Amino acid sequence: MSALLDLQVTVLASGDGAPLWILAAGPAGALGTYWAIYRYYRNNDKSHAYERDTLIDAKPVQGHEEKVDHISRTRDSDIDGDNSAKYRERVRRLR
Amino acid sequence: MAQDDQHTDAPAAEPRKPVFDGPPLSLEEELAAARAEPEPGPTIETVNESLADGVNRCPKCGSTDVQLRASSGMLVCLFCRHQWQEERVEEELGLGVGIDELEGTVVASGAGEIDEGADDIVTLTCGGCGAEVVVDTAHAMNARCHWCRHTLNVNKRTPNGAVPDAVLPFKLTRDEAVEKIREFAGKRRLFAHPRFRKEFVPENVLGVYLPYLVVDARAEASYSGVGEVQTRRWTEKSGDNTVTYYAADVYRVDRSVSFTVDDLTMEGAADRAQFDSSTTNNIVNTILPFDTKNAVRWNASYLVGFTSEKRDLDVGDLSPKLEDQLLSIGRSQVHGSLDRFDRGVRWEGEQVDVGGSRWVSMYLPVWIYSYYQENTKMLHYIAVNARTGETMGSVPVSQWRLIAAALTVGTFLEGIAGAILVGTA
Ligand SMILES: [Zn+2]
Ligand SMILES: [Zn+2]
Repeated sequence: MSALLDLQVTVLASGDGAPLWILAAGPAGALGTYWAIYRYYRNNDKSHAYERDTLIDAKPVQGHEEKVDHISRTRDSDIDGDNSAKYRERVRRLR
Repeated sequence: MAQDDQHTDAPAAEPRKPVFDGPPLSLEEELAAARAEPEPGPTIETVNESLADGVNRCPKCGSTDVQLRASSGMLVCLFCRHQWQEERVEEELGLGVGIDELEGTVVASGAGEIDEGADDIVTLTCGGCGAEVVVDTAHAMNARCHWCRHTLNVNKRTPNGAVPDAVLPFKLTRDEAVEKIREFAGKRRLFAHPRFRKEFVPENVLGVYLPYLVVDARAEASYSGVGEVQTRRWTEKSGDNTVTYYAADVYRVDRSVSFTVDDLTMEGAADRAQFDSSTTNNIVNTILPFDTKNAVRWNASYLVGFTSEKRDLDVGDLSPKLEDQLLSIGRSQVHGSLDRFDRGVRWEGEQVDVGGSRWVSMYLPVWIYSYYQENTKMLHYIAVNARTGETMGSVPVSQWRLIAAALTVGTFLEGIAGAILVGTA
């Protein structure tokens, strides 16, 4: 696998024809197939979506925001460690 | 006899085709099913029913030979065929109202602390013949007198907290549950473990009342973190490649939301409350929610013909879990207010203040087909929510078949990749 990676880097640098990394399609496809079927049979990733399936009555969301910095040039297309949609990932408790 | 179809020991009337016979599904079919979005869960209709006064004996003739008729959710007297239902706790205990005024921790009597020292063994005097009958409440909350077959109900609030406040009666019949389990397994044939296929007998399903704590709560959750808004996007040439660059404003973000939750449902048995990869506990968790609004006052007659499991987690044990779930709910509530941060938000701190909570202990009905996989020492379940019919399960897989299929797909893709490379070289 590391030999393949070395080769891949060489080809990417040369820039001729189709990139060799499409050879990763085979292993990636095999792994993806394995996990898709395994999950379909074992359902080990499922749980009750209580955030959605509970009767919740919420008041309007309060809050504010304050500009503190500016990034003038980055190759990152999004923020590091976005967890805004990972509702169950706990962060530091404020108190 | 036609009245209590869910309690007969005979298998389903018409023999159906065994799930694992006949031509298997094609690999394409199973792959498509495996990759498809999961089906949405059933919606719950909380129908308001007018209820009769609850009593422990048949209110008409006084017989104690009473059973649940799952098709109607009613108790039926096997002596005079009278049918009735206990009062819904929703109205009786005033649940569902005043959640926004809850203060402190309100615990219904059946959700009180379990007294470890108290004996599970309760001796009851049979109302029919006067015999003294012993009931082991760790395993069953009802029994029949073995002399006169009167049903003995552990209806009193025993001091060890064994008796719940409410019970949600079985609604799906045994035959309906068998059909659901058959259908679930039938969609997972190609890669099922050969031993599972051979030993699959959905008729061995068991009706079990599992203990839960159902919580109403009032809370305020607060979050603080960092959000980014993209201000510019451009590309630069670097050799033969073009590279995309971004500029962004960085914000300090705070959000808070006050909310109430109605009937948040948590496992009351420690054995089922732990979710990790070594168990299949998540399966039973996934078939939540139940229409807990229709739960009725505890009456052991509902348990005749079913088994039950005893609660061993207290309000104190579950309070951290409640806070955790309230934090998750708050997060989902504030999510919609973050749209302007198109580069995303990273929460770094959070807190929840539980203004008040109300805890009721409840037995909820589940049909369970279990299968013990010997080589991995894992207990697999197919569980059916006996109110909504939602079905979830864990089917043991044949690893070598699965690997063979994965390699087939991988080799096929690799062939295409190779062809492209050769074609463009
Ligand atoms: Zn009667
Ligand atoms: Zn008796």
